[in-house]
Amino acid sequence: MTEVRVPNDLWDDDSEGAISAWLYEDGDRVEGGAIIAEVMNEKVAFELHAPVSGVLAILSPAEEAVRKGQVVARIAG
Amino acid sequence: MKGSTAMTTLEAGVASTATNRSQRLWMYATMVKSRHFEALVKVAYLEGKQPMFNMAKGPIPGEMHLSDGQEPCAVGVCAHLGPRDAVTATHRPHHIAIAKGVDLNAMAAEIFGKQAGLSGGRGGHMHLFDPAVNFACSGIIAQGLGPAVGSALAATLRGSSDIAVAFMGEGAANQGAFHEALNLAAVWRAPVVFVIEDNAYGISVAKRDCTAVESNATRAAGYGMPGVHVAANDPDAVFAAAGEAVSRARAGRGPSLIEIETTRLEGHFMGDAEGYRPPGEVDALKALDPIPAYRARLLSEGFEAEALDRAAQAAVAEVEAAFAFARSAAYPAPEEAFEHVFAGDR
Amino acid sequence: MTTTAPSRRLTIARAMSEALAQEMARDPGVLVLGEDIGKLGGVFGTTQGLLDQFGADRVRDTPISETAFIGAAVGLAASGMRPVAELMFFDFFGVCMDAIYNLAAKQSYFSGGKVRCPMVIMTSVGGGYGDAGQHSQCLYATFAHLPGLKVVIPSNARDAKGLMLAAIRDDNPVVFMFHKALQGMGWLGTVQRSITDVPEGDYTTPIGEAAVVRAGTDVTLVGLGLTVHLALDAAASLAKQGVSAEVIDLRTISPLDRATIRASAAKTGRLVVVDDDYLSFGVAAEVIASICEHGGATLKCPPMRIAHPDIPVPFTPVMEHFVLPNAEKIVAAVQAMFEPAA
Repeated sequence: MTEVRVPNDLWDDDSEGAISAWLYEDGDRVEGGAIIAEVMNEKVAFELHAPVSGVLAILSPAEEAVRKGQVVARIAG
Repeated sequence: MKGSTAMTTLEAGVASTATNRSQRLWMYATMVKSRHFEALVKVAYLEGKQPMFNMAKGPIPGEMHLSDGQEPCAVGVCAHLGPRDAVTATHRPHHIAIAKGVDLNAMAAEIFGKQAGLSGGRGGHMHLFDPAVNFACSGIIAQGLGPAVGSALAATLRGSSDIAVAFMGEGAANQGAFHEALNLAAVWRAPVVFVIEDNAYGISVAKRDCTAVESNATRAAGYGMPGVHVAANDPDAVFAAAGEAVSRARAGRGPSLIEIETTRLEGHFMGDAEGYRPPGEVDALKALDPIPAYRARLLSEGFEAEALDRAAQAAVAEVEAAFAFARSAAYPAPEEAFEHVFAGDR
Repeated sequence: MTTTAPSRRLTIARAMSEALAQEMARDPGVLVLGEDIGKLGGVFGTTQGLLDQFGADRVRDTPISETAFIGAAVGLAASGMRPVAELMFFDFFGVCMDAIYNLAAKQSYFSGGKVRCPMVIMTSVGGGYGDAGQHSQCLYATFAHLPGLKVVIPSNARDAKGLMLAAIRDDNPVVFMFHKALQGMGWLGTVQRSITDVPEGDYTTPIGEAAVVRAGTDVTLVGLGLTVHLALDAAASLAKQGVSAEVIDLRTISPLDRATIRASAAKTGRLVVVDDDYLSFGVAAEVIASICEHGGATLKCPPMRIAHPDIPVPFTPVMEHFVLPNAEKIVAAVQAMFEPAA
């Protein structure tokens, strides 16, 4: 089981962001390296990539606040 | 400071002898009023749009184009205008509407989409119409210029000395309607003043990357009218240039073009991350905020701080009341969407 | 459609950018021009990464001069290039309509086929987020009506890439519409179903072919762009009530795939067309006329149109959402079709 975190260096300050769209659904199989979500902070959009291949379990639904370093999903390899 | 077909440049600090104390106080207070209006719009606009900025959410959905920094353009021109003078404006209209005397309560209510709004909620922030003071705006670039020429012609035909003013951004000077309207205004000798608020950017594109001339004021000569370049984002300088152009128009001597170098302190639209602006640019511009600069000048020229404060407080109070009105006003019934498609519909 | 490559999902915005990048790499005659498509990558994300990859000669930020740059695209096309011009909001067509319908659309005809106009106009359509009457229009019928133009509108990322590649390679002027609610821009919200697997390689989606995106037997729901998703939502609700709805995604508005529509109507006998453009004189009317005038399909009940009424798009949400098509209106219309006659 691998955690998917919002990278600590994705944006500059400690403000909140939100996942604007999950590109896959809970239970989908994803490939390592694929873009799996778009994250927004201060009106800028960032990409979130799958660290490994496996089955996605979403923890943070879209539009909820997230912080850098937060675990937003897990991938079961 | 002559009106002629040659381009004229006005620098900061030029105080016309025609500028009297009460007009300057009005300009200061109106800039404060406008800036406070935008500050409250911003607060309301961002409600419901955090943590994720979704334009559809909150009490004010859709796009929002704020006028912070551009207030001198509105007050310097509108100080010369009365309710019968027509003004057309753009997708960034609030400062101009306020300076023109648009009903503040109804304007705020329209932005919130309420039934008590100027259009009963049908138009929103880019489509504000107040016939009582002859103000209208449109979201299509340069499309207010033709109507200004028409309003000016109507004023002439009814034998009045009323005029029309069309506000636009510098990007509009590259749109076909600009060139047609200027030519037509000159051919008809229409009493129009064309005012370009040059804030250097059309969304992400800098003026220098899309405009064939350095100053759009030079384009006026191509249309047989005087072109004035105001190099300072300063109400007194705008007042001086506008005074000349307005007098010229009222005297039946035809149209003029004024280009004002102003500053856009917010993004093109709220939500604009402005990644296309060089680092430090916005901070540098905020240090040149025209409102504290004008206050400092007025104080140095003998205005009393208490008088300025009283005027500013009254302006702020009016805006607060307008927003309280707008927030508590009722929404229209959905079926009202079908009214006023044609005149006489209701 | 199966693919051996690993699956990977894109938003419509990214699918469009990818199509443009791949075709620009393949064909040096392709260039992109429009407002804010360079540094910004397009207000709606359609040209992300292109300026960095191909440079300013082939990715041109233009002044706010639609008549001039759409006209210039016609000239570029006549000179053997393949321009893709972005008209930021389709509502802006008013300032450049002549270049589109009198020039681009008529180059081939006026020249007896000797001069071609292989250009794409990509443009945003649709509302529902409070952008009011000059920034929310769909205008499908306005352009589908004009001879010499092809008009396409994908409902998902896979079709978006395929239709863009097809549009660029087509030797005719193609209006490529993308609906703002489906684009995948975080600041607009997006319909999740529009984010799909998109093959990495080269493929096209044929222009002029509709797709049956949900098979059914009791009623045909026809949609385009956003309304395909409304129809699919309605179909899911109807299934729970035991009504089997077939959903057709037009994908191309003009030339209209009348054969697919007629075949479906012949099978189900009931037709609802969902169109977020103005009701009268519209795409829905054209779909219905296509059924009625053809000898084949006999409908079991009168067809219905669910469309935006003949009023400007209102700003305030209580009005805008009242007048827009939605899944509930579709379900209600279908339910009424099954009610016993009075």
